[in-house]
Amino acid sequence: MNVIQAVKMYITKMTEESGPGMKVILMDKETTSIVSMVYSQSEILQKEVYLFERIDSHAKWDNMKHMKCIVFIRPTSENIALLSRELRDPKYGVYFIYFSNVVSKADIKTLAECDEEEAVREVQEVFADYLAVDRHLFSFNIVGCLQGRVWNQQHLQRVSQGLLALLLSLKRRACVRYEAASEPCARLAERVRDLLRREAVLIDNSIPYNGELPPTQLLIIDRRNDPVTPLLSQWTYQAMVHELLTINNNRVSLAHVPDVPKDFREVVLSSEQDDFYAKNLYSNFGEIGQTIKSLMEEFQTKAKSNQKVESISDMKNFVEQYPLFKKMSGTVTKHVTVVGELSACVGRHKLLEVSELEQEIVCQSDHSKHLQRLKALLADGALRDSDAARLASLYALRYEKHAGQGVGAALELLRARGAADGAPLAALEYGGAHARHGDLFGLQDAVKITNRLFKGLNGVENIYTQHTPPLKDTIEDLLRGKLREAQYPTLGGDDGRRPTHVVVFVVGGATYEESLCVHQINKANPGAKVVLGGTTIHNSASFFEEIKSAMQGVHRTHTKHIRNV
Amino acid sequence: MATANDDEILEGFLCPICKADLKSASQLTNHFESLHQEDQDVLKSLKDIFGKAKTIILNNDNADLKETFARALKFNYQDYYDEEQVIGVSRSSTDYFKGVRFSRLERYATETNKLLIRLDKLICNMPSDPHQRKIHEQDAVPWLDGSSVNLCPNCAKPFHLTRRQHHCRLCGSILCHDCSVFLDIEVAKTIINPSAPKPVSNPELKLTEKNGLRLCEHCYNLIKLRKQVQETRNTKTELVTAYEEMRSLMEQAKPAVAMYEKMCQSLFDGETTYNMSDVNAMRGRIGKLAEGIDLLSKQIVSFPAEPGTRQARLQNAIRQAAGHYIKEDLLSLRKLPTEAQIEEVRRQRYERAEKQIQMERERMERERQRREGAPGAAPPPASTPAGAQHDDDDDNPLLEQMNIIRGYIKEARQELRFEEVAILEANLKELKKEYKLQKLSSRS
Repeated sequence: MNVIQAVKMYITKMTEESGPGMKVILMDKETTSIVSMVYSQSEILQKEVYLFERIDSHAKWDNMKHMKCIVFIRPTSENIALLSRELRDPKYGVYFIYFSNVVSKADIKTLAECDEEEAVREVQEVFADYLAVDRHLFSFNIVGCLQGRVWNQQHLQRVSQGLLALLLSLKRRACVRYEAASEPCARLAERVRDLLRREAVLIDNSIPYNGELPPTQLLIIDRRNDPVTPLLSQWTYQAMVHELLTINNNRVSLAHVPDVPKDFREVVLSSEQDDFYAKNLYSNFGEIGQTIKSLMEEFQTKAKSNQKVESISDMKNFVEQYPLFKKMSGTVTKHVTVVGELSACVGRHKLLEVSELEQEIVCQSDHSKHLQRLKALLADGALRDSDAARLASLYALRYEKHAGQGVGAALELLRARGAADGAPLAALEYGGAHARHGDLFGLQDAVKITNRLFKGLNGVENIYTQHTPPLKDTIEDLLRGKLREAQYPTLGGDDGRRPTHVVVFVVGGATYEESLCVHQINKANPGAKVVLGGTTIHNSASFFEEIKSAMQGVHRTHTKHIRNV
Repeated sequence: MATANDDEILEGFLCPICKADLKSASQLTNHFESLHQEDQDVLKSLKDIFGKAKTIILNNDNADLKETFARALKFNYQDYYDEEQVIGVSRSSTDYFKGVRFSRLERYATETNKLLIRLDKLICNMPSDPHQRKIHEQDAVPWLDGSSVNLCPNCAKPFHLTRRQHHCRLCGSILCHDCSVFLDIEVAKTIINPSAPKPVSNPELKLTEKNGLRLCEHCYNLIKLRKQVQETRNTKTELVTAYEEMRSLMEQAKPAVAMYEKMCQSLFDGETTYNMSDVNAMRGRIGKLAEGIDLLSKQIVSFPAEPGTRQARLQNAIRQAAGHYIKEDLLSLRKLPTEAQIEEVRRQRYERAEKQIQMERERMERERQRREGAPGAAPPPASTPAGAQHDDDDDNPLLEQMNIIRGYIKEARQELRFEEVAILEANLKELKKEYKLQKLSSRS
């Protein structure tokens, strides 16, 4: 269950089925992202694909009859219309058409009637209809899937089709489970089940049934049950880059960084193409600094020894090593630039202090101390407004029901520094106690309470990484067969067996911290294969957007008692 | 180099004492240390050999930089993604698509074919005299009787003195001058006969009744469509030719690189199948291919194209891909060992084998002595040294064959067919062995 591999194999199939010759690939906005997540440009050039065109571009066409055209688009009605126009007056020699999802017979008929020059050679459906972020992580890049607490219909459609495609691309028969307390999860689960039923023939024909293995479980859960994880500062490389610099389709913009080398205005961070990144995705910030430092030192000594060019053979050696050298130094420089920017951010905005308090608020209980430190930090001018809002939101979520809670005071401090004070209240409305069914802060479980006490007494190993996402427990329960059917019902009845293959999908977006957690579960359980997906992959900024959209037009019902404005 | 009593040649990491194959150098030394402690001096020599071979084979001075990076940059995913993955589900609708297209195009096809036959009749032996031509045209396609038609069927404007009735030369239907389209007669000729010389298109030249055929729009579109299909099938521009040539060079380069790697490895292993000049020749050939690819891609990029157009982007992309290919696949070949290194590896290999034989003999000696129980008995010589016997059988068919094969090898070398060289070398070895055996048996 490697989603990158799954998408990559589809793309490779497309480039190979069209045979030798110069090729162009014609895509829409979404499929462009899907392809770019798994293939680098230089890689796809080696497959004889030389041009990348958008089907909705209005650039002037020139006649390119000597080229083969691979069309890879989502089967939307706009795309069908655009493709019909293209086929009526084809610019390329032959066409190989691939839809990223199920396409209706009627649409195929429309296209066939337009193909008067008989340019089309293939029409197929392949199911690469999601963004493969990592081997075990996928996304749909939808921020704001809920509007006013219910699904945006367009997004519901997109996500359910995407999940169908995911299962087909992994060749898995699946049963659907969902979080009973969440209305959006139930809607999505039903939609996916309906789509699976509609494609029953396809599934029966192409995925062999094996009764001995338990079916793959698709578990659909709601972000509202855990609003904390996306709000925390992150200290592993990938999560940190996303929180501080924002990763968008594997790309990170460094354009705002002063004196950044021209080549690094935008860098690509892909675990498939960048081995250093792949190795250090989950390293924490301290480790990665060390790795880079030692790498640089070694690099410098090597570079120095190579500078000494005295004899002919020295020169020859130098030249022979040069390409390797250049390539490696490119990778190293890229990561030095990124890590440098991260550490500048951390220093500038006192992120270590912020993170320490965040972790304590979430994992320990000492209200008066936390409130005191919160007030001090909120008054600190070095903090970014967004970090202040995060802290206040976390405090509000944690001490919502506490007798002497100071949410009102925190909001006032936010206002005093000129920041918007809507975020903590919206966060409470979105994911406050009324919206959660799990024990997010471990207040009911006796074991957890004792753990918490001990933490307070003994101190912890790393104060910045005390928090583990509740998703970890959910997945482990699921793998052990202990996830309660009452809370997470299975559509069409429980199979009763413990699953080995699991797809977890978070309505409202997953996070890189959870991705790390899934990575660790996969590593620790050799028999289990878990894939995580989300409507998007959040950092705190996008999560506030998500909350804003979900709470749009909803009246305050649970935070009326908190005075503000 | 067969041992005296055993005509099967054993290869691999063999223990010189007990003949067990230990698969790897470290295992062999371990095995030796634990089981044959009495032979420590042999162990020492073994260790030396491996150490030396290692430094040479790994090319250490260059390797450490690579190692540094490899350690920092390489990542092994094997840890938990061991599951084999097959390509996901896909479904083809091509047949349905073609079915729909066929039934629709069939209508067009029959009509187009009819028009083409008529066009052929019209164009062949067309008289130049306008009056004669008109008769010829009406002869090929009967014109509709226009006496009762008062309005142009296409634009519904009335016919009168200035808007006269005309006829489509292909279907004979009636239309006005504004509604008619002209097909260049020269172009029409190329449609009928694709091998006819291409007319020089001159867009300024206005098509009139004289140099064109008057057609209705419907017929014109059908003919045009056919022409386009025809053109796509027959276009082969300079770009395509150059591109195909470049790809064919790349196709040739692939096996060449694989062969080079194989030859290189064989040299490092101290085998004698290929020699230095072979490998250098192969390297040269790959260099030539790279040069050819580079040249063609430069040629492609220099074809005229307006900057910013797709054509220009395509040419640049091809050049870029070719450059990348050359850099990554053709120029990153492994460095060759020097003659001295090869000598060293070969010598060690030889010594190792010698030692093994020596020990084997000693062991047999000891065994025999023990069996005979007569410690004083002088051992007979196990074998006479090679070369003591002079070759008196020049006409031995085996020798003759060996010479023939040597000739073949030389030929194959010159033509860089190294696959063949390897096979022939193997044959030669077989023959040599056979020959030796024969000699041994004839002696006894």
